[in-house]
Amino acid sequence: MTSPHPGPKSVRTVDTDSDKGKTDGKSMLRQKDRERYQRQIGLPEIGEQGQKRLGRSRVLLAGLGGLGSVLAASLCAAGVGFLRIADRDRVELSNLNRQILHWTADIGREKTVSAGEKLAAFNPEVVLEPRQIAIAEDTVQELLRDCQIIVDGTDNLESRRVLNRASLKTGLPFIHGGINGFNGMLSTFIPGRTPCFECLFSEFGGGSGCPSVLGATAGIVGSLQSLEALKYLLGMHAELLTGRLLIVQGRSMTFRKIRLEPNPACPECG
Amino acid sequence: MMTATIHITLNGFEEAVVSEATIASLIRDFNEQDSDLIVEHNGCFVYPAEYGKRVLQDGDRLEFINPNFGG
Ligand SMILES: [Zn+2]
Repeated sequence: MTSPHPGPKSVRTVDTDSDKGKTDGKSMLRQKDRERYQRQIGLPEIGEQGQKRLGRSRVLLAGLGGLGSVLAASLCAAGVGFLRIADRDRVELSNLNRQILHWTADIGREKTVSAGEKLAAFNPEVVLEPRQIAIAEDTVQELLRDCQIIVDGTDNLESRRVLNRASLKTGLPFIHGGINGFNGMLSTFIPGRTPCFECLFSEFGGGSGCPSVLGATAGIVGSLQSLEALKYLLGMHAELLTGRLLIVQGRSMTFRKIRLEPNPACPECG
Repeated sequence: MMTATIHITLNGFEEAVVSEATIASLIRDFNEQDSDLIVEHNGCFVYPAEYGKRVLQDGDRLEFINPNFGG
């Protein structure tokens, strides 16, 4: 091999179907899956069928920073079938107060490699596809290919604008979250059913560069986003955080939902 | 003659403001015009195009919120 192949590569040894059961909805979970996911299969909202549904689900996670670390870990632990993780950055020392998938020995490594290693060890049942690439207009369609949902682990407005446009174009839901200091906000945007990200934020500027943020805040907001993603993937569509922006204020421990109406002046969906 | 005032709750604090105040005039009065703000009015997100038209009523609840775009 002379040139490294830039395309997608999946890290995990693929199980043969003989061990896996068919995917026709009536088949049984494998015994090891039944045991691994026992404590969530017991939930009436999940059960064996829901677990199998999660096992067939395909997710794009954009960004592997503070939110992305938490999102990746919790989606993997819950047993999503396929997780494409995209980020263009390398691990820096100043990331480590909040980006819990990256450890001290990872400084200088590509975030997708650092995260991919931990996630593969965490739950080898999940098919991971690390993509060390920027979230941009010319990459996003390919990043979304065959995914059911877009999960926002990015740290800037521009990437979110790209993801929002891709969501509107494909009809895929966009599970948005953002954090700053002790605070965060999140909403689930579903094209045709809710306002979009730009309805809310099209008039906002580039943001303030690198906000200060606590890992605990990333943990709260990332966990809430992953709960939304899992509910969507399980088909619990009536109870999503749609048409609402949840404002999380960590200092006062206030969680408040703001109602969102369609914005007729939205440059993207209006 | 005194200008009529109304009482609203802004970011959790009661404020007396002139009765014809709009969201836009309050953003100016509270010197917030240079910051990126989300405005919540009685539990609803308000879009910037509405700021100048939305006249406040006695008892209204208003929140100026800094959006969070980190990750
Ligand atoms: Zn819109």
